[in-house]
Amino acid sequence: MRTIFTKEMKLNIKSLLIWSLAVGGLGLICVLMYRSMEGDVKEMADAFSNMGAFSDAFGMSTLSIATLKGFFATEVGTVHGLGSGMFAALIAIGILSKEEEGHTGEFLFSLPVSRTKVIAAKGLSVLIALIVFTVICGVLYLIGVKMLGETIPGDEFMRFMASQFLMNLEVASICFAISSLSGKNRIGLGIGTAMVLYFYDVVGRVVPDLKDYLFFGPYSYANASEIFSGAEADAKALAVGVIVIFAGIAGAFWQYNRRDLAG
Amino acid sequence: MANVIEIRNLTKSYGKNRGVIDVSLDVKEGDIFGFIGPNGAGKSTTIRSMLGFLKFNTGSIKILGMDSVKDHEKILENVGYMPSEAWFYGSMKVTDVIKYAADVRGLDCTGEAEKICERLKVNRDKRIKELSLGNRKKVSIVCAMQHRPKLFIFDEPTSGLDPLVQRSFFELINEYVDAGATCLLSTHVLSEVNKYCRSAAIMREGRLTMLDTPNIDDDTFLSFYEDEEEA
Repeated sequence: MRTIFTKEMKLNIKSLLIWSLAVGGLGLICVLMYRSMEGDVKEMADAFSNMGAFSDAFGMSTLSIATLKGFFATEVGTVHGLGSGMFAALIAIGILSKEEEGHTGEFLFSLPVSRTKVIAAKGLSVLIALIVFTVICGVLYLIGVKMLGETIPGDEFMRFMASQFLMNLEVASICFAISSLSGKNRIGLGIGTAMVLYFYDVVGRVVPDLKDYLFFGPYSYANASEIFSGAEADAKALAVGVIVIFAGIAGAFWQYNRRDLAG
Repeated sequence: MANVIEIRNLTKSYGKNRGVIDVSLDVKEGDIFGFIGPNGAGKSTTIRSMLGFLKFNTGSIKILGMDSVKDHEKILENVGYMPSEAWFYGSMKVTDVIKYAADVRGLDCTGEAEKICERLKVNRDKRIKELSLGNRKKVSIVCAMQHRPKLFIFDEPTSGLDPLVQRSFFELINEYVDAGATCLLSTHVLSEVNKYCRSAAIMREGRLTMLDTPNIDDDTFLSFYEDEEEA
């Protein structure tokens, strides 16, 4: 199992570094832009905070984007939320199906290792990739803050990164389950899943009737504006998130163990 | 001689499509068993059921005296399988693929792998994506043989191999079988069956028939295929 895990990590390392540096780098640039935009943003902050539902949707009614905390929550919150969600989907959606898609399944499964161990090794590689991704991005954001000579509340920053990581796990576990269904690599479906979940949250915050159902989506508990404005985490949303993560993983084990493998 | 492969009443269907129907088969220890039949007859379905890639509907399969479902991992420790299309991870080097297969088995097969690579003239420094089908098949042979398994299962192994490598391949098989291994050889090449196999069976339309002898003439061999087309 360790050999399969190591091989998966080696095969994914390039993609992991590219995505970590791209998303983390973009977030870093956003942070650095704060200084140059500071003056203009102050003028816009009042206007942005009075745009009703749209201000609520993007957290600008509770946080001022004229402060680094507010700027970070709206800008980096969006970049990291979307970028990390897409990375989580991308890395998980093909992790099982690529063996059949690439016709390597017959080689791998003719070796003395059970499907359960293969799923576990591959699932673990996704988990580790998401941890490394989160750490690299987090470090890059903190470097940006440090370069500005500013500070950002440590507790809220850690809560933001942890909740984003949990959201990534939820997206990945949904895609992991999809990956177990067939031997086709469905990258489009994976990216689409992440996008739908993101926009479900955005639309849910704009449309009043949908607000009560936001907790179904993983982006509800990972909302940067709520976290940085000190709002309590929605226990219902977290509970749904944990259930979806376990259901996705269990579903992948169950389905992959019972179906025929394509040649 | 004990049965190395023991299949009883194996039936596997793909939804409404036929796979194999009520197949029973014994392969004795030390045999080189020829498994012939037209494309789509059910040879690969039988092999893939034996290896656990497919979940069969009814019947039972015992390999080396072990149940193919319950003792799946234990069986694969003692099996060397070469699929008809040898695919590996494109970005990996040949040497890494060979080592990877040995590592998953938890074995150090360096000596045996080197011997086989030399006999088959395998270039171990190239990346898999740079290899032709024939060269990928040579890597597949190394992966199937390096751990000196008790049972070899080859699915159309020689397509894409040049004649010299084909000869080396069968020399290797004979050496391993002489040392106590058993071989199931699925093929479309009559000369291979005649020259190397000690017993044989034919699959047609999902059903298996044992042949009295593997030494059959061209006309008889081709009739197996013609009957299929006419049907």
